[in-house]
Amino acid sequence: MTIPATNTEAAPPAPYSAESFIPVPTARTRAMRTFIPWQLWRFVVINLRMLRMIAKSHD
Amino acid sequence: MSRTVILGAGISGHTAATRLRQRLGAEHDVIVVTPNARWNWIPSNIWVGVGRMTTDDVTFDLAPVYQKLGITYVQAKGTSIHPEGDVTHAQPYVEVEHTSRERMGQVERIPYDYLVNATGPKLNFGAVPGLGPDGHSLSVCTASHATEAARALEETIARMRAGERQVLVIGTSHGTCTCEGAAFEYVFNVEHEIRQRGLRHMAEIYYLSNEHELGDFGVAGLHMEVGGFVTHSKSWAESLYTERGIHWILQAHVERVEPNVVQYETLDGEHHTLRFDFAMLLPPFGGVGLKSFDRTGADTTPTLFAPNGFMRVDADYTAKPFEQWAPGDWPSTYQSPHFDNIFAVGIAFAPPHQISKPFKSPNGTVITPSPPRTGMPSGIMGRTVANTIADRILNGSGAPNHLASMATMGAACVASAGSGLLSGTAAAMTMYPIIPDYARFPGTGRDLRFTFGEIGLGAHWIKRLLHHAFLWKAKGKLGWQLIPE
Repeated sequence: MTIPATNTEAAPPAPYSAESFIPVPTARTRAMRTFIPWQLWRFVVINLRMLRMIAKSHD
Repeated sequence: MSRTVILGAGISGHTAATRLRQRLGAEHDVIVVTPNARWNWIPSNIWVGVGRMTTDDVTFDLAPVYQKLGITYVQAKGTSIHPEGDVTHAQPYVEVEHTSRERMGQVERIPYDYLVNATGPKLNFGAVPGLGPDGHSLSVCTASHATEAARALEETIARMRAGERQVLVIGTSHGTCTCEGAAFEYVFNVEHEIRQRGLRHMAEIYYLSNEHELGDFGVAGLHMEVGGFVTHSKSWAESLYTERGIHWILQAHVERVEPNVVQYETLDGEHHTLRFDFAMLLPPFGGVGLKSFDRTGADTTPTLFAPNGFMRVDADYTAKPFEQWAPGDWPSTYQSPHFDNIFAVGIAFAPPHQISKPFKSPNGTVITPSPPRTGMPSGIMGRTVANTIADRILNGSGAPNHLASMATMGAACVASAGSGLLSGTAAAMTMYPIIPDYARFPGTGRDLRFTFGEIGLGAHWIKRLLHHAFLWKAKGKLGWQLIPE
């Protein structure tokens, strides 16, 4: 069973509560976090960005 | 022929030993002294703590690896350093106490030409009454602690299944704790596990931390470009906690842990209590208690070590306010200012000050994360010092030091937010430099080209990949030299 990467059981924040002013991801953003084709691409991109930073640190 | 003794076999000590062995011929001795028989890839203890991995998945026996690599392994703990030898011999030495079953308690002198202090931290549970596995809370700092935490978590989940609503508190304890990233990972992994069991509605989860804001991580947080804006990790972290329904309590110093109750003070000076059914609270770190003595036997510990037990190196330890902190305060050679053949790396070196801005409550309680210096920075320090020592052995004592300041190196961190090949997520973050440089990078302190954060399954795969890659490297398997620190 694939579990969504978000807590759909959490109650939405009450109006004017501190949490209600915090940006939360849209359903599309949440879905993309575990959407395999997109995440394969992000896997490559993140690795490349990390390698770039590591190369910078080893100057 | 030379002899280098390395105290400790964590990430920095193990890296120093293996890199030194790589560069030196067999006529030069490389000796590792560590009280542990097994090496532990600590970042994966988080997964042991939720039952997704076992102790065997994150540890391995050191003896056969060191035998294969040609490194002498002594299972013992260093107790004292004698940089001038004693009245009868001028040769520097360390005194160690054996911890193996066969030689338990035996004391031995090990002479050295070069010494690397990579002893890591003492897990100072004693700093908070009732804290830790011997008290009333749990830890994931070691593989065995994490195994115990996983067992307690299973019991908590069983109570939820039986209809009992449970309160879980996860975070830091003492106001000066470090490793907030580990607490971040554990709270999200626990939340993920409970959600996967369909019991999320039965759990109230709190993140309790000494951070001034969410997303500080002891490094003053990080700014990154998101959707055309430069935003701080505070927004990013608050979003994630809100999305997962995790409550947060910040600017907190835990004063005492009692059975099912944690007492804490907040930065405003108020005192609070929070009831819990499950609590994992990280301890503060201290030095391991190494002593040093001069030739006559006089105690020189206050000279070589800071009051917190960490070793002084080439940092600027002048006390100054936050506004006057500078990248140049941070060490780059990790060499003792008193003895040029002694180095301290990883957690063992004394940082000049925090990275996050320090705060104190009206009661005088310091509530500020200590600077993290684990993982990638530790590995780079270990390799840098190994190169310095190897150059001196091979090219003469005038060889210049290699440099690796945290003010000019970046760090990559992949923080798990839930395990699972298709359902897991992690937050991948990089920052450059680790020490904010507000003169070079006004407003953010960091180069935004090398600083970013992203949450997703892809980052979880990277976390898994790093687990296997670094265990491969630590075991000295084929091609280990090619894996960067």
